[in-house]
Amino acid sequence: MASRALSVWQNRQVVGLLVKRDLKVKYQKSILGYAWSMLEPLAMAGVYFFVFGLIFNTNRGVPGGDDAPGGYLLFLISGLLPWLWFSTALNEAPKALISQAKLITTMKVPREIFPIAVVTRGFVDYLFAWPVLLLFVFALSGRTHLMGLLVWLPLALLVQYAFTLGVTFLLASVNVLVRDVERVVRILNRVLFYASAIIIPSGMVLDSDSFPGWFKVLYELNPLLGIFKMHHAVWYPADAPGAFVLGTSIGGAIIALAVGYWTFRRLETSVLKEL
Amino acid sequence: MAEPVIEAENLGIRFAVNRRRKRSLREMFIHGTKRDPNPTGKDFWPLRNVSFSVSQGECVGIVGKNGTGKSTLLKMIAGVLIPDEGTVTVRGKVAPLLELRAGFNDQLTGRENVHLVGSLHGMTPEMIEEKFEEIIDFANLRDGYIDMPVRHYSSGMKVRLGFALISQLQHPVMLVDEVLAVGDKAFRKKCYEAIGRMLESNRTMVLVSHNEGDLKRFCDRGLYIKDGSLALDADIETSLQAYNDDTKAEAEAAKKKAAAKKKAAEEKKAAERQKAEQEKPADGGAGKDGAGDKGEEDGGKAA
Repeated sequence: MASRALSVWQNRQVVGLLVKRDLKVKYQKSILGYAWSMLEPLAMAGVYFFVFGLIFNTNRGVPGGDDAPGGYLLFLISGLLPWLWFSTALNEAPKALISQAKLITTMKVPREIFPIAVVTRGFVDYLFAWPVLLLFVFALSGRTHLMGLLVWLPLALLVQYAFTLGVTFLLASVNVLVRDVERVVRILNRVLFYASAIIIPSGMVLDSDSFPGWFKVLYELNPLLGIFKMHHAVWYPADAPGAFVLGTSIGGAIIALAVGYWTFRRLETSVLKEL
Repeated sequence: MAEPVIEAENLGIRFAVNRRRKRSLREMFIHGTKRDPNPTGKDFWPLRNVSFSVSQGECVGIVGKNGTGKSTLLKMIAGVLIPDEGTVTVRGKVAPLLELRAGFNDQLTGRENVHLVGSLHGMTPEMIEEKFEEIIDFANLRDGYIDMPVRHYSSGMKVRLGFALISQLQHPVMLVDEVLAVGDKAFRKKCYEAIGRMLESNRTMVLVSHNEGDLKRFCDRGLYIKDGSLALDADIETSLQAYNDDTKAEAEAAKKKAAAKKKAAEEKKAAERQKAEQEKPADGGAGKDGAGDKGEEDGGKAA
């Protein structure tokens, strides 16, 4: 185990190379190239703002009250950017090993490299989109605070990275043997989007009377809820997760990473034969 | 003498024959791949009980029929397959010439691919920069092609570029799988020279090939693999001889079998003809009775 971690670390350069290659391929044939990293979340934000902000008037649920600096639009953007990171990783996770079959069957590198590369690329894309976020922060006069920048942001990124990596390990290895995973992922992607308080403030579920208690507990057990609450908390201190939600997030990430990695190692022999 | 560079001990790998229906997902998670719930099930061992060691500077050829696990063995040495039994130890880095186009991304240009795959195999950027001209020269690409996406290359060009790149690796162990069969005559000659040079610099090589000329040219030792196990570990001439003898014997057996089959078929045909001839008068008789159509139909069914 320790030697595996070491050899992954020694091959960290390979992760960088794969990430660079994928980004290059992604932007190569498009005229706007890098701009897409910013345009996509912008377009999504536009759609959701129209539907939820204007039509359903979700503004009232924004943590910190109606006139919290930044308003619903900043809330949307600050949730959508990290969500895109998670959702692209989730979408590509099943193919993380299959699409690289040729490299895997001819090159001796720790196989963990490939899922790590998928998650890291999502993360790099997320960083690329930060200018958009900052633009909105300035335009909407959003305000951050020390606690948000020094605690919530790093913690959110770390926990999200760990959780996403765990999920990717699991899906990538299982999908080689059982191809149903690709289908499940599509549904999962949709469900988690609405279940994780990305565009709908969690208060609208947790403070509402129309949901039974057990449903609220279930809602809070989703590790992604805490992760996105942390992302929001950078700009909306009122959205900072409580102890229980924070616990499920960190615990969920650790469990996901452990289970995912264990499965990955367990299935490695069969996966290699199958590729 | 120093420790052997490649050491295989009791190597074995198992493939499940009908994997789709074999084990449920639940079982796979509970037992993993190590403990098979039905060890007596239909497992197929492409290789089993293979032990050998290769010391530095040796060139070992692996011979055997198609599907006897030669490539599988090479992949296990390369570390891209994990054996189910036994261990394989390789001391030093491995340059795998298993499938030369591997790793090239179709969307990227030749130049980008050389940098990418070179670094994936552990070359430093300076090393690649230094060898770049040599690689292009060796690959003999037409002018300007190096800056075109690899998807526009012919398959020969891809392979040439791949070989040119991999052969620049300075790793002490080389694994070569049937790659000498590709390329035109001029390129093959270059490959031979490159491999000769590598062997001179005291590097270890394992070569899988069906070309006796290649094998005799480079190898001093031969492993003959037969039905998934190591049948002979001797010098290359002896191994090739054993392989050829077996092939010949098999061909003769097959010929005999075919002859027997043919004979049986002929006998059967003759018997049928005889039978038909016996039956014919009966059919004719039925026709005379005024139920000709029906009779013929019945006859057809009976046949």
